[in-house]
Amino acid sequence: MSLLKKLIPPQNWQVPVVILCGAIFGLGFFILRLSNAASYLGDDPRACINCHVMTPQYITWEHSSHREVATCNDCHVPQDNVVNKYYFKAKDGLYHATIFTLRLEPQAIKMKPASIQAVQNNCIRCHFPQVTDAKMAGWVDNHLANRTERTCWECHRHTPHGRVRSLSATGFQIEPLPVREQQHIFVPEWLEKAIKENSQP
Amino acid sequence: MAVSVKTRNWLLFIATVVVVFLLGMLASSIMDRKAESRFAYQPQVDIGEGEPRNEVWGENFPRQYQSYLRTADTAFASYQGGGNLRDMLEEDPRLVVLWAGYGFSKDYNQGRGHYYAIEDLHNTLRTGAPTGPGTGPMPSTCWTCKSPDVPRLMNEIGIAEFYEGKWADKGPEVVNYIGCADCHDAKTMSLRISRPALVEAFESMGKDINQATHQEMRSLVCAQCHVEYYFNKNLPGKEGTPYLVFPWKNGHSAEDMEKYYDDIAFSDWTHPISKARMLKAQHPGYEVYMTGVHAKRGVSCADCHMPYRTEGGQKFTDHHIQSPLNNVANSCQVCHREETQDLVSDVYERQKKFKSNLLALEDLLVRAHIEAGKAWELGATDEQMDAILTDIRHAQWRWDYTAASHGGSFHSPVESGRVVGTGINIAQEARIKLTRLLAELGWGQPVPYPDISTKEKAQAFVGLDIAKLEAEKEEFKKNIVPQWLEEARKREASQTVKKVSLNQP
Repeated sequence: MSLLKKLIPPQNWQVPVVILCGAIFGLGFFILRLSNAASYLGDDPRACINCHVMTPQYITWEHSSHREVATCNDCHVPQDNVVNKYYFKAKDGLYHATIFTLRLEPQAIKMKPASIQAVQNNCIRCHFPQVTDAKMAGWVDNHLANRTERTCWECHRHTPHGRVRSLSATGFQIEPLPVREQQHIFVPEWLEKAIKENSQP
Repeated sequence: MAVSVKTRNWLLFIATVVVVFLLGMLASSIMDRKAESRFAYQPQVDIGEGEPRNEVWGENFPRQYQSYLRTADTAFASYQGGGNLRDMLEEDPRLVVLWAGYGFSKDYNQGRGHYYAIEDLHNTLRTGAPTGPGTGPMPSTCWTCKSPDVPRLMNEIGIAEFYEGKWADKGPEVVNYIGCADCHDAKTMSLRISRPALVEAFESMGKDINQATHQEMRSLVCAQCHVEYYFNKNLPGKEGTPYLVFPWKNGHSAEDMEKYYDDIAFSDWTHPISKARMLKAQHPGYEVYMTGVHAKRGVSCADCHMPYRTEGGQKFTDHHIQSPLNNVANSCQVCHREETQDLVSDVYERQKKFKSNLLALEDLLVRAHIEAGKAWELGATDEQMDAILTDIRHAQWRWDYTAASHGGSFHSPVESGRVVGTGINIAQEARIKLTRLLAELGWGQPVPYPDISTKEKAQAFVGLDIAKLEAEKEEFKKNIVPQWLEEARKREASQTVKKVSLNQP
C-alpha cells in the first residue's frame, strides 16, 4: 500500500505523468500491432515467417506432403495440453524474438533439446500405429531400441523440410501463398469486363 | 527516503525517457526488419499487369524461367511426338489429299516447344506471305494462342477488335512466344485464364470457370489452347469478325461437337476433289484427355508434362513443358513404380495399336474422296452425292478428332479407339454408297488410285505449287519479319521495367 502511495505522484504532477504513461502504453500497443503479435496466438504457419528467418523452413514445408496435414505448431509445439502448448510457444517465441532483435540468429538454425523432445513426441502422436507395430518388434533386431532411443529424423532426414534448406538453397523463392488460399477468381477483371461488353451486340 | 522530491521527479523523468527511448528503438527495429523481410526473397523487378516479356518475369523466377527456356530443346522425339520438328506430310503424304484445298496440305509440322510458337508461325506456309498490313490468307485470330502479347492487346483494344483484321496487321505487336503471362497472375503468381474463348465456352455449357479447383486449373490453363475450336464469323453484332469459339455447347465428345457443327451448318472448307463440306479438327487434346483414366483419377496436365523437380532445397514445378516420356522419373514413376522401358513400351503399345486403325480409316477416306471425285466426273447430281458427302465429312471429322489430339491415343486409348471405330464404319458406308452410285453411272471397276507416295507427288496431285509458296515465304521472312521485330523492339525498349531493391528509391 505504501509502495503504491509512493508511486502516485503529487497532485500537480498527475496530469503530465498520466500523459506520459499513456504515451508508453500507446507505444506498447503500437509495437504489438507492428509486430503482428496477435498472429502468434493462432496456428497459421505464416506467423512463422513474419520475420524472414524461417522462410526456407516455410517454403520447404509448403512443398511437402506434410503441408496438407500439419502446420508448424502441430510439430514444433507440444500438443499434450493447452497450457503446455502456450507456455512452450511463449518461451520459444520470446527467445526467437529476442535473438532476432539482437541480430544474433545463426546461419544454420538447429533445434534445442526441448524442441527436439517436442517434435519427436509429435511424430509419435500422429504416426503412433507405424512406430509401435508389434509384429515388427518380433523380427526386426533392436526395433524397440531404435524406436525409443533415436529420433525419427535420424533416418527420415527429408521429412518434411528436405536436407538442404539454407538461405542460399532456397533463395529466389518468393514466399508462396498456401494453396488452400489460392485466389478463386481465375478470370482477370479486365477480361471479365471485356467479355461482358463484348457479349452485348 | 533521503531523496528529495525534486531528485525523485528527475529520476522518474529520466527513467521514463529511457523506457520510451528503448520502446522506440524496438519499434524502429521491428520496422527495419519487416522492410528487410519484404525484400529478402523478393523480386528483382516489379512485374506489371499484362507484362508480355518472359525474360522480365524470369528476373524474379529464375528456376521456372530457365526450365521454361528448355522448351527450345528439340532433341527428343517419341513414337509420335516430342519436341522434334517432323514434317508430317513427308511422313504420311496421304494427309495432303485429305486436307486438299486447306492450309494444312501446304505445310504441316509436328509442333516444337512453346519457345518456337512465334517463329514457327512465321515460318509455316499456312500463314502465307503477307506483304504488308491487310494482306495474307489468315486472320488476326490465328495469333490468339501464340503469345502473352495477346491478352495485353485484348486488354488494350478489346476482344472482338483483336480478332478483327488480317494476321499480318498484328505482326509487330505479337512477338513474345507463349509464356508466363498466359497462365499466371502478375501479382500473386496464381494460375489464371487469359483467353476469353475458354471462359465463354464454360459459359455456353452453363458453368462458371471461377468455380474450378486449383488442380483443375493446372489443366485448364492448358485448355485455353489445346482444344478444338473454330472461327465463327456470324456472331450477332460481330458479323464478319472471325471470332474464336470452342464448340462445347453440347459436350466434348466427337459426336457432340459434330452435331454442334451440323446444327449451325459450319464447315472449315470445301474439299476440291469430293466437294464435301469438311471440318478440320484442331487439337482436342483437353477434350480427349478428359475421357481418360488419368483425368478420372484427378491427374492434371501439369502433373505429367510439368512435374515437380528439386534443386537444392527447393521443389518447384518444372516449366520445361514436354513429353513425359522424356522425363519418366519425375512424371510416370512418381505413381507407377515400374521400369522406365516398361512404362514407355506400355505407352507405345497403346499408340501403335490405335495408329493401325487410324491409318486404316485414313486409307478409306483418301479413297472415298477420290471415288467421290470420280462420281462427279461421271455426272453425279447433288442429290445423289448429298448423303455420301455428309458421311465423308463425319468420317474425316472423327479421324481428325483422334489424329489431331496428338497424345489422345495414350490419354484415352479406349475413347480414341471408339471414335476411330465409328469413323471406319461411316467411311465404309460412304464407300458402299459410292460403289452403288458409280455402278449406276456405268463405272463397274475400281477407281484408279493416284500415285501419292511422296509429299511432292501428293501436293502436285492436289494442284499445289509449293515452290512458288516457298519463294514468297522467303521474301516475307526477308522483308517483313525483320520489320515486325524491329518495330516491336522499339516499342518494348520504351517500356521500362521497375527495379525492386532496398538500395534504390
